[in-house]
Amino acid sequence: MGGFMSIGLLFALQDWISARNWRYKVSATLLVEAWVVQYFLWGAICWLIWLWLGPRIQQGRLSWILTCVLPLSIFVSVGEEMIWVLMFPTLPIGSSGWSYRRRLEFHLNAELMDSLVIFWSSFLLIRGVGYYQKYREKERSSQQLEAQLVNAQLRALRMQLNPHFLFNTLNGISSLMHTDIAAADTMLEQLSCLLRITLERGDAQLIPLSDEMQFVEMYLELQNKRFSGRLHQTVSVDPELYDTLVPAMILQPIIENAFTHGLSRLDKDGLLVIEAHRIHKRIKLTVLNTGVGLSPASSEEAAGKGVGLANVKNRLELHYGNDQRFLMREVTPNRVLVTITFPLQFAVDSSSKLTGLVRDDTGSDCR
Amino acid sequence: MIQAVIADDEVLARQKLRQLLRDEPEVDIVGESATARETIELVRLTQPDLLFLDIRMPEMDGFDIIGALNPEPGFTSPRIIFTTAYDTFALRAFEIHAVDYLLKPFTLARLHSALENARHQIQLTKQSPVRDDAAKATSDKFTKRIVFKSRGRILFLPLSEIRWVGAEENYVRICTQSETHLLRETMSRLEERLDPQMFLRVHRSSIVNLQYVKEMRTDADGECTVILVNGQKIAMSRSYRARIQEWLHR
Repeated sequence: MGGFMSIGLLFALQDWISARNWRYKVSATLLVEAWVVQYFLWGAICWLIWLWLGPRIQQGRLSWILTCVLPLSIFVSVGEEMIWVLMFPTLPIGSSGWSYRRRLEFHLNAELMDSLVIFWSSFLLIRGVGYYQKYREKERSSQQLEAQLVNAQLRALRMQLNPHFLFNTLNGISSLMHTDIAAADTMLEQLSCLLRITLERGDAQLIPLSDEMQFVEMYLELQNKRFSGRLHQTVSVDPELYDTLVPAMILQPIIENAFTHGLSRLDKDGLLVIEAHRIHKRIKLTVLNTGVGLSPASSEEAAGKGVGLANVKNRLELHYGNDQRFLMREVTPNRVLVTITFPLQFAVDSSSKLTGLVRDDTGSDCR
Repeated sequence: MIQAVIADDEVLARQKLRQLLRDEPEVDIVGESATARETIELVRLTQPDLLFLDIRMPEMDGFDIIGALNPEPGFTSPRIIFTTAYDTFALRAFEIHAVDYLLKPFTLARLHSALENARHQIQLTKQSPVRDDAAKATSDKFTKRIVFKSRGRILFLPLSEIRWVGAEENYVRICTQSETHLLRETMSRLEERLDPQMFLRVHRSSIVNLQYVKEMRTDADGECTVILVNGQKIAMSRSYRARIQEWLHR
């Protein structure tokens, strides 16, 4: 409506300027009124048409446009003119004493084409808006679909990890049971704790590094039960990275891999070093292990054929696209280093994590 | 001697507890029960010191059982150690001040520490059977233990087991003899909850438990260090030294 009114004002201004140029007197107020009312009427008409026929105009076929919209355009143009002529009996200038019909004819002669142009411009505008909305909706839904797909893929990958890790550990417990009941018992408890943590996380894809490291440390304790005394581990994490978000269980498969293909082949002095550093706006996670280096078989692993590592790579790709690196190489003979880097990202509200303390109110009585 | 009742609807769970408690000479199992009603009757009859209680029982849950065990005159309700596979109840268990909370499956080591807590509390009760509210009020100001989730467990950690606490950015690391726990907590908030008779802040980023302090050293260039009984060194800053001097002279 505002748009139409301002067009009216512009035309009034133009008329007033041309009147000054041609040196004939005209009341500015009358001019403005006439033009503004003219376009106000058009605005109202177009708005009503939009309300009633909007969706049909946007989807209407050519046959409908020709049979319905074309007559409607003429009818509406004439109708608008009739109302307008009724409202301004003094126009056109110098028409005193003319009949209503004569004045209407005069104006129709002068303006029917303009009116039709206004009508059809509005028609095209409405149709254009329709196309645009449809296009935007398509884009939105395709983006949503894409996000859903990525989420589904991530979920599937996460779900693949839990059983994988669970069965491997159960297998370890099962073999330990024959030799050391107490150790197997401890391992079961540790496994329960690990499962509890994964349950608590629900299906959160990204978790604070502190949580991931807690999981890693527990996993290491559990593995230590099997590799008792044959292994030296160090874990070092830059404390300023505790709150940074990392994909859940991103390190566990890499560490499991270090055990399965490297450390398990050694009978003493195994070394496992896990580190998390910040490099500008990126986080770098490294896992170094001794063992037997990269055999052709484990090169296949590196190429992503093993469940665990392939999983890590896929998830990094899904989360960070091309903005991530996964590198596995033999740094010195029999020392394998896995490095992953991806952008730093902090939780919007990291305080929502509830590890808070609970007040010990020993004052409350037993009921 | 601690008299204990085991209440659990699962035979295997009771059997496991019984086996583990066999190695505890101080604990005497005076009865076992498998339903809520049995448990209430058994506890009234035997008046045990300690009750191992499964939260999920047929008919009623463990909390209802405690509610039904309303202490009558001359009847001291037993100390409770909850045993359960669900941990959503932990904080509620804590409100009715259970001694501890064993998540199934638990190991002998976990049971040990729970029993240690129970033993301590039972001794206190036996020394002063009438509850001394005035004495409690003073000790309540500072917690005797803190409760938090760490490593997939719920910990009822007695303060006396904390050797020292270090700040790491937005986290604090609580160090005991055998493990460390990372909590998202601030030093100042934690310090408020620790008894100043027991804990001393020696640095912007460290608090030590005085029980475990072996010595304090000042080296040639005036740097101070606190040395713990296990040989661990913790830097002390000058700004906190005055407070420590004060403590030494009290």
